[in-house]
Amino acid sequence: MERIIVCIKGVPRPGTVKVDPETHTLKRESAELILNPPDRAALEMAMRLRERYGVEVVVMSMGPPNVAPLLKEAFALGADELILLSDRAFAGADTLATSRVLAQAIRGLTPFSLVIMGLKSVDGETAQVPPETAAILNLPSVINVIDISYSNNRFYLTRETNYGEEELEVEPPLIISMNPKLEYFRPPSLKRLLQARDLSFKSMTAQDLNLAEDLLGLKGSPTQVAGVFEKVFSQRGEVWKGEPEELADKLINLLREKGLLQKLALINR
Amino acid sequence: MMDYFFTEEQRILIDLVKRIGEEYIRPKALFWDEREIYDPLPIKALADADLFGIIVPKEYGGLGMGVMEMCLAVEWLSYFCAGVSTTYAASFLGAYPIILFGSEEQKSRYLPKIAKGDSLCAFALTEPQAGSDAFAIKTTAKREGDHYVLNGVKQWITNGGLADINVVIAITDPSKGSRGASAFIIEKGDLGFTVGKKEKKLGLKASVTTDLILNNCKIPRERLISREGMGFVVALKTLDYARCGAGAQALGIAQAAMEVSLNHAKRRIQFGQPVYNFQAVSHTFAEMAMKLESSRALVYSVARYIDSGAKDFSGASAMAKCFATDQAMWITERAIQMMGGYGYMRDYLPQKLLRDAKCLQIYEGTNEIQRNVIARELAKVYK
Amino acid sequence: MHNLIIAFGEVYQNKINPASLEILTPLWEISRALQKGLSLLILTDNFSKLDEDIDLKKALCDEILVVENRELAEFKDDLYSKVISSVITHLNPYGVFFPATLQGMALAPRVAGELGVGLCAHVNALELEDDKLIMIRPTYGDNIMAKLFSKSFPIMATLSLGAFSIREKGEKPIIKKFDLPEDFDWSSKIRVKKLKATKKEMNRLSVAKVVVAGGLGLKSRENFQKLFDLAEALGGEVGATRPVCHAGWVEEDRMIGVSGVSVKPKLYLGFGISGAIQHTVGMENSEFIIAINTDEGAPLIKMAHISLIGDAEKILDYLLKRLK
Repeated sequence: MERIIVCIKGVPRPGTVKVDPETHTLKRESAELILNPPDRAALEMAMRLRERYGVEVVVMSMGPPNVAPLLKEAFALGADELILLSDRAFAGADTLATSRVLAQAIRGLTPFSLVIMGLKSVDGETAQVPPETAAILNLPSVINVIDISYSNNRFYLTRETNYGEEELEVEPPLIISMNPKLEYFRPPSLKRLLQARDLSFKSMTAQDLNLAEDLLGLKGSPTQVAGVFEKVFSQRGEVWKGEPEELADKLINLLREKGLLQKLALINR
Repeated sequence: MMDYFFTEEQRILIDLVKRIGEEYIRPKALFWDEREIYDPLPIKALADADLFGIIVPKEYGGLGMGVMEMCLAVEWLSYFCAGVSTTYAASFLGAYPIILFGSEEQKSRYLPKIAKGDSLCAFALTEPQAGSDAFAIKTTAKREGDHYVLNGVKQWITNGGLADINVVIAITDPSKGSRGASAFIIEKGDLGFTVGKKEKKLGLKASVTTDLILNNCKIPRERLISREGMGFVVALKTLDYARCGAGAQALGIAQAAMEVSLNHAKRRIQFGQPVYNFQAVSHTFAEMAMKLESSRALVYSVARYIDSGAKDFSGASAMAKCFATDQAMWITERAIQMMGGYGYMRDYLPQKLLRDAKCLQIYEGTNEIQRNVIARELAKVYK
Repeated sequence: MHNLIIAFGEVYQNKINPASLEILTPLWEISRALQKGLSLLILTDNFSKLDEDIDLKKALCDEILVVENRELAEFKDDLYSKVISSVITHLNPYGVFFPATLQGMALAPRVAGELGVGLCAHVNALELEDDKLIMIRPTYGDNIMAKLFSKSFPIMATLSLGAFSIREKGEKPIIKKFDLPEDFDWSSKIRVKKLKATKKEMNRLSVAKVVVAGGLGLKSRENFQKLFDLAEALGGEVGATRPVCHAGWVEEDRMIGVSGVSVKPKLYLGFGISGAIQHTVGMENSEFIIAINTDEGAPLIKMAHISLIGDAEKILDYLLKRLK
């Protein structure tokens, strides 16, 4: 098996995010970034494959320089190499412009067998980047994977679909997104945390990737925000206050009035 | 309230242990306690985090850290669950004899597995008739050519059945008294080695305690640690090292007890105000804080003293263990009182902390024995 | 050029997925206003197998566009996207839309990536502003909705599940076979070994008459589980907020809101839910909303017809005690 690439994303710690009033995109530079929670499954699966098949794992992230601690965290989990994709020109990218950058960086790491990403990011919630990147690279993609094994130059994947669990055989290289639920996620290793203190890693710009600026960032994004509006809720109904027992009783009376306790009455009878 | 001037490495260690505690232990600690369940998952997390390698020398794949770092890890694990920290710390109890007295072959065979967390350890001294009176052990080891054959029963052994590496103290020459015992390594799966039923305990319920049964257990000669006759030296030195860890467990438990009851007292409104405003309550917390911080100062001082290369520290480590665990007992009992009915309910933490703390006054040498040790060492200094 | 709108018709076991029929409702309105045709695109190994599907015959569209090939018997991400891209290249539609099912989520971004066009995810509403299509979805931050448009054609989006109701059409849509070029490469790097159909019945959250939902205000997974007792008593389904699903208290298929399910029950009960917009977009069309929360300023309290100010866990406990 050739190397595995994991793409991770820094998302704002809830409550620390600001939105740019001009472009309506997130101001990531000012936010405190945490690892996008679903990406933990991508890292964990990569580390399991690294243990099982002795394969090299490269972890990359596109974002402002303040995602560096997340790459160090990936190192502490077992990553062999780290790459930061950082350039002002990347800012404000939609999923297509993001996928172009990732695709180009991934292409530069050929030969590779597998690219793993999280199912979605919890800030954008689109889940689009993994298949979109795969399409740009003309590679197969599989989303919402829950298990992976490998033999005879084939990956055997299990994915969760709307209809059940599906087992696939896929020819590498390919891009997958991991379902966020795993029964166990390893913590970082103390040894590697101590090494990570003075760790330097590769940082790449648009120029390093040989990407034209008009395909990047806000400028290169075909989807644009026309405007945002706030949903304002004015108090529309009654507000009840009191002791929990009292409120519960009032609520039961209401449910009874609405005829919602009939079924219950039948059950009790 | 205090700064203990930790090194950067120690701070990274503490942060990591706290993170493991929050994620893998806190959400389940009360559940494990209630159902008396040993869960291998937090142990796997500790292994993946390299935390079983803390005291193992670097050349055997460990981190080569000292007693101080071992204490910090144990303290903060105990803050989340002393049952889990008992499984963890007892493994060091089994590892110390190999680190301190093991042959090169023994070290390279066992220590890398211990450091990676692939093998848990156990230390077996106590027997049904030999608790505080350790010299009364009856387990025997007879030399037969290139082998030893062991017979006897070890009682209340932490990690019994979980451990792959069991250090067992047995009599090799009954005529020599305290010089007649030797230390052996018994591996899980050795013929004639079995494990008794899991004991039901008052506390530390997330840990496993069993008898170890040796019935004509035949092991190769190379399993002898150090020389024949060194058994009690190995055991006592190991306990000298590990005792600080019991003191560190007390710190974590006491810290948790103080925090949970303090949070309650500051929010619980009675007579129109938080109960913390009443002096009987706030002064209790003042006492708790003094007892906790003086325990911590002592445990850390002794740990640093041992790490400085001190030769004779039995008295010092006995003080750290005895004092800190006694304070933890007092603090956990008061924590329940400060929470009133809530403290007594099994839905809340303090009652677990009290039950866990109780064991610390008993195991690894009762606090009465610790006082004997301290008094004996005092008499040596002031002749 | 640009005189067609295409909706992806997802098929499973010879039946159209209702999620594909849902998205026809807003697309029909848009297509009438812009005077464009609306096609439901179906990829299948044998279209005659869908003969029995009555729902498909009532689909709210002008035509059903069928691509038939034996290689399409199973869903293969790379092949399906290649087929759709090829159809798009030939027909040059104004817009292509997918339901935000897992299949839609797997396909739409591949097609967008292959064609190099924009794609909006989990859109909740479509609007026309001066004949320009505006796609609306919640964005990061409290109660902020974003209006998005696409600079490229076809305009592409996935539309949230349950956000629209199925409407039927009187007359049967025309069925039109679409043949791909002779030299089209039907190969795929993916082989489907087997599908283990889900044993558990799909929850009926999106069509439930009563929804009992819980948020982090319930404090623990154990408390959250009590909602199932209440839902049973009220003949309803349990829903959840995103943080609750991420905390692993309940399966993600119970998530209400962005990238989850939209619900429109007669009664919605929210326990310990503050009402972040990521949740409320999925339940704001409920007929009667009851919110239970400690925070009187929470958005859900403001939206609700009746609000109970108090500890959700305690009130839930008393409710269950009374109902027993």
